[in-house]
Amino acid sequence: MNLTLISLEIGVALLGVLVLLAGLWTPPNRQHLLGFCTALGLTIVLALLVKQGVAVDPITDSSGGFVLDGLAVFFKALFLLAGILVTLLTMGFSNRLRTAGAEVYALNCFALCGMLFAASANSFVMLFVSIELITITFYVLTSLQSHRLRSLEAGVKYLILGAAASAIMVFGIALIYGSAHTLQFNFIANGLAAGHMKQLLLFQLGALLLLAGLAFKIAAVPFQVWAPDVYQGAPTPVTAFLAIGSKAAGFVLLLRVLYTAFQVQPDGPRLLEPAALLSLMAAATILFGSLCALRQRNLKRLLGYASIASAGYALLGIVALNERGAAAVLVYLAGYLFAIVAAFTVISILTPDDEDEDLSILAELHQRSPMMAVTLTLAVASLAGIPPLAGFIGKFLLLRAVIEPTATFPWLVSVALLGVVASLYYYFGIIREIFWGTGQWWTEKKPESARIKLADSQVVVLLICLLGMLVLGLYPQPLLELATDAVQVLKLAN
Amino acid sequence: MEILFYIFSTLTLLCGALVVFNPFSRNPVTSAMFLVLTIICMSGLFVLLKAFFLAAVQILVYAGAVIVLFLFVIMLLNIKEEERQRFRKFGAFLGAAAVAGLAWILVTTMMNSRAGERSVANNAGETKPLGELLFTHYVLPFEIVSLLLLVAMVGCILLSKTPETEEETE
Repeated sequence: MNLTLISLEIGVALLGVLVLLAGLWTPPNRQHLLGFCTALGLTIVLALLVKQGVAVDPITDSSGGFVLDGLAVFFKALFLLAGILVTLLTMGFSNRLRTAGAEVYALNCFALCGMLFAASANSFVMLFVSIELITITFYVLTSLQSHRLRSLEAGVKYLILGAAASAIMVFGIALIYGSAHTLQFNFIANGLAAGHMKQLLLFQLGALLLLAGLAFKIAAVPFQVWAPDVYQGAPTPVTAFLAIGSKAAGFVLLLRVLYTAFQVQPDGPRLLEPAALLSLMAAATILFGSLCALRQRNLKRLLGYASIASAGYALLGIVALNERGAAAVLVYLAGYLFAIVAAFTVISILTPDDEDEDLSILAELHQRSPMMAVTLTLAVASLAGIPPLAGFIGKFLLLRAVIEPTATFPWLVSVALLGVVASLYYYFGIIREIFWGTGQWWTEKKPESARIKLADSQVVVLLICLLGMLVLGLYPQPLLELATDAVQVLKLAN
Repeated sequence: MEILFYIFSTLTLLCGALVVFNPFSRNPVTSAMFLVLTIICMSGLFVLLKAFFLAAVQILVYAGAVIVLFLFVIMLLNIKEEERQRFRKFGAFLGAAAVAGLAWILVTTMMNSRAGERSVANNAGETKPLGELLFTHYVLPFEIVSLLLLVAMVGCILLSKTPETEEETE
């Protein structure tokens, strides 16, 4: 076992354990310092990752279950960045998590560790174990505000549906093992290429069940029912982490399983042709998310439905089955990270303690805190895909990947455009509420007008997100090159 | 040996069906007890496959610990509604369709494969080779599972803790 290969993961796990221990000797009024230390530690890990750079040749460990290549490094950087932002966001939120102090930072680290392993998973054992580490940590994180009924409800719903999805997935893995006699992605690919697969039907069934499990992670229709309730009920920083971290982990695994293990490529062995299935799934996901979000007044629930729609857009890149599509997924997720974290940061600051996140809390925001108003407006515009923000580049590339070089599913593009139009309506509802909202007009209560003072950690998060959205939107070239380099390992047709 | 396989597999299927579909009783405790029987029969199947470790774990962990937990929860919550609940026809239909599809695939697969083809080495399921594999080839996933158990422990303690602020006000 080459320990230097997994040094990042060891670092993050150790950081979690250290924070957990340090929490025992830290007085309650100093707990936020632990959050600062966690963020600092994660920043150091991220710096180490950047210094280490993109490995030119993929390195696998001795058992072959763990691989360090361009794709893994890209997603690891994404997860670490998300982890840092969420930790900073949690610092401003910690007084509302009554029972949890240092534990929440530690749990964040453990979930992050699972994501880092997921980015490098190269066998179904690693895939299952890392997904379980992420999901089980999120069961706990979701129900952390145990004095709020909604949080408990979200936790229970996530637990039951998540456990069912895991059971389905592990059954799928068992069937794949039964027909391929190996759990490693490369060996499965070799077996497929050489035509060794005798029990093809069994293998296809296994692949289908496995895809169902992964679709649950990214909240794609028909495995999306948990998302709105869990997004609404979970503590806001956890929702942010769930929206970007858990979803991106699902996507990296989907990319690897489809392209590395199953060799779903135009010139590969045509044993599995999931493009039709995935395109239906993408269309249904986009429509469901966009249409359900139209009439939502709860902000977190609205973003929950919007994130279902986003998963649908990202699926477009996978449907395309080419290198551009895969690279577009990466670019889209990078832009999504900044926008969604920014939106949830503003929501977490604005929501009064333990109350609902109704749209009316946004009223007069441009007076109360111009910075938050600008950030939320840009975040929402980026999610909607307005140029020149990061979200636009991602959506544009995804749509282009489906159309060029061959328009495989022309109807899919029109569905996606319909979803974009619908999303403009509900996203602009948020912007309207920020600048022209009248608060709770039905109770004839004047909206709050006191200025909001931001904590330093919150300012840092907002600034990073603003910078990220603008820079990636105005100057996307480096990110595009990084993403294109990263998906080289999938060996897709251009 | 073969007769044992048939006995165990018949019993497994029968008890498994009785867990969810018991014409005599709708009592959750009965279902849980049938689940114990299913698991014991299944561990018998594992013994026939020479997977002694899995058989022991099956009995110790599932029959011993998990089902006892189930029974505790059922008895503590005193679930009476389940007994009154009728079978849902639509759900039963969908379930039957899914099972039929699965069964068809499994049966066609078994028909197509010859007996003894690519069979696994005989001692792969014994405790020693399993342990060796776990600590060499699968050491990384094994260690991640240990992290997972730590998370589960921390989570249990966190979620069962009552908020301090509420204790003061009470």
